[in-house]
Amino acid sequence: MSENILKFSMNRCTSVEPLDENTLKSACRLTDTFTTASVEILARLPDLEIVNVSGQFRHEWHELPDPNETLQKVLGIRIGSGMLKIIKGLMGEGENLEQLTYMVEECCHGIILALTKDILSHAPRDEAGKLEFFSNMVRKNIRLYNRCAAFAPGSRLIEGIEPPK
Amino acid sequence: MLKFARNKLVSAARKDKDTLFIHGVLDDDIYGVEIDLHVRIRDLYFLSIVGKWNRWTTPECPRAIDFLQEAKGFCIDEGIDDRIHKIVGRKACRHFANLLIECCYAAKQAAKVARWEDAKADNQDLSFGEFCGAKTDSEDAAASRESAGKKPPAAQEKPVRISTVRAECEEPQPSGGRLKNRAAGFVIDLHVHTFPASPCSSAPEDRLIEEAKRIGLNGICLTDHNHVWTPAQVKDLSQKHGFLILRGNEITTDQGDMLVFGLESEIKKVIKLQDLRAEVLRTEGFIVAAHPFRGFLTFGAGQLGLTPERAGQRALFQWVDAVEVLNGKVTDDENHLAASVAANLGLPSTGGSDAHDVAEVGHYATRFSTNIRTEADLLAALKGSQYEPVAFRKDNEQVYSPSTLQSAEQ
Repeated sequence: MSENILKFSMNRCTSVEPLDENTLKSACRLTDTFTTASVEILARLPDLEIVNVSGQFRHEWHELPDPNETLQKVLGIRIGSGMLKIIKGLMGEGENLEQLTYMVEECCHGIILALTKDILSHAPRDEAGKLEFFSNMVRKNIRLYNRCAAFAPGSRLIEGIEPPK
Repeated sequence: MLKFARNKLVSAARKDKDTLFIHGVLDDDIYGVEIDLHVRIRDLYFLSIVGKWNRWTTPECPRAIDFLQEAKGFCIDEGIDDRIHKIVGRKACRHFANLLIECCYAAKQAAKVARWEDAKADNQDLSFGEFCGAKTDSEDAAASRESAGKKPPAAQEKPVRISTVRAECEEPQPSGGRLKNRAAGFVIDLHVHTFPASPCSSAPEDRLIEEAKRIGLNGICLTDHNHVWTPAQVKDLSQKHGFLILRGNEITTDQGDMLVFGLESEIKKVIKLQDLRAEVLRTEGFIVAAHPFRGFLTFGAGQLGLTPERAGQRALFQWVDAVEVLNGKVTDDENHLAASVAANLGLPSTGGSDAHDVAEVGHYATRFSTNIRTEADLLAALKGSQYEPVAFRKDNEQVYSPSTLQSAEQ
């Protein structure tokens, strides 16, 4: 037994591209030792409503029914706060559905991150400018406060900002 | 042209008989992070975890590395994803959490391969498919824990049955509070969460009620997630505190969260809003769209170009009786958008703190023109539309009625 030979490996890639002015396509592809799968969603702006979803799933030994029937359950939901609970609730949490559900979530996260990237691209490059930029972000949306290490007490980004009441 | 791409690569090697080494890389347009994780094969226990930033956004992101150590000792069981989101995602960084979840997936699969290799020592012809076909992941982990003499993980909590019974509480006298309610009318916080009924809340009901009394609210409505307060419990609380306690539920639908009052039936899962509407109509209840435009952490509906006119076309507004336009957990812009949509559609507006902490109760509330004594009174008042959302805690209480909002915008 060589300690350097892999027992398992996986590669998951999510990409987002605009189809037209009002539509974003997000695709997630998984290739691992046992699974080959893909999920693709179309989201309409500005509501970020999922207007189309499709996918395929092949596993080494699990026989899975056509995933598209399950995927259609997320049609019409909006990508936004609280969506993970909705996606899991609508698609179910059966063992064989875990990866499919996760890939829908990844597609949605991809879209959120694509839009987040647009915002972050406005951040200044210098340290002081960055501190001000991200502090203002917390001031504008206090839900960011204590949301992660960068916005937790002790961070320079929340100096002078009252915790949410 | 791609607008965004995220690549994750995770590999798992067996370092010795009982140890897996998992290496994960997440690389996308914004972040670059890596995790090295050692996991014990027999019980999928985290032996060590080390993180590394390659690229990040804020000058304070590097602080996340130290907080990763809070994951040491985690065990990959049914609740691991939630635990990672809650501890690693909230205390360290949600992108590390995302990669760590992938590492856990890889560890589970690699452990399966390792066990198959061990099983082949006794049966060289055993195929991997045969070995795995007979076992599920959870059976594997449970068997491993048993053999390791460990306590099995707690079963995932099943959804609590929701049965909002329209039993009337014995009428408590409105407290009036130790601080004066500054405005006329009967003010109720229609949206509060208590602990432990809502695990996401840190507000024990007794302390939350005392605070509601102290600030001068006339009552509160318990709207815990998927939790049933019985009429007897609410009656006891009302009598104990001499304060009006009412019941509702916050129910997750395919169109987002809904505050529901007067619902008799049980809702166990995420439900289609149209189905919920049918249920509520049957019981003559009332639905309020809770925080309908709660946005993302770094951008909101405004940045997406969502106008009140466009937002008002969302199907969900066909199925609700009112809109929560003052919610304590969203931004002012998001509340304003909700108010504009409600005004455009002619839907009544409510306010609620969405309190998850004692200090948050009453931040926003709803002022009724009539006194409320019972849940039946509340329903009648809600249907009568004689109420308005108020920023109750603010020194100068401000009324966000659709008319004042419109005049302010003009």
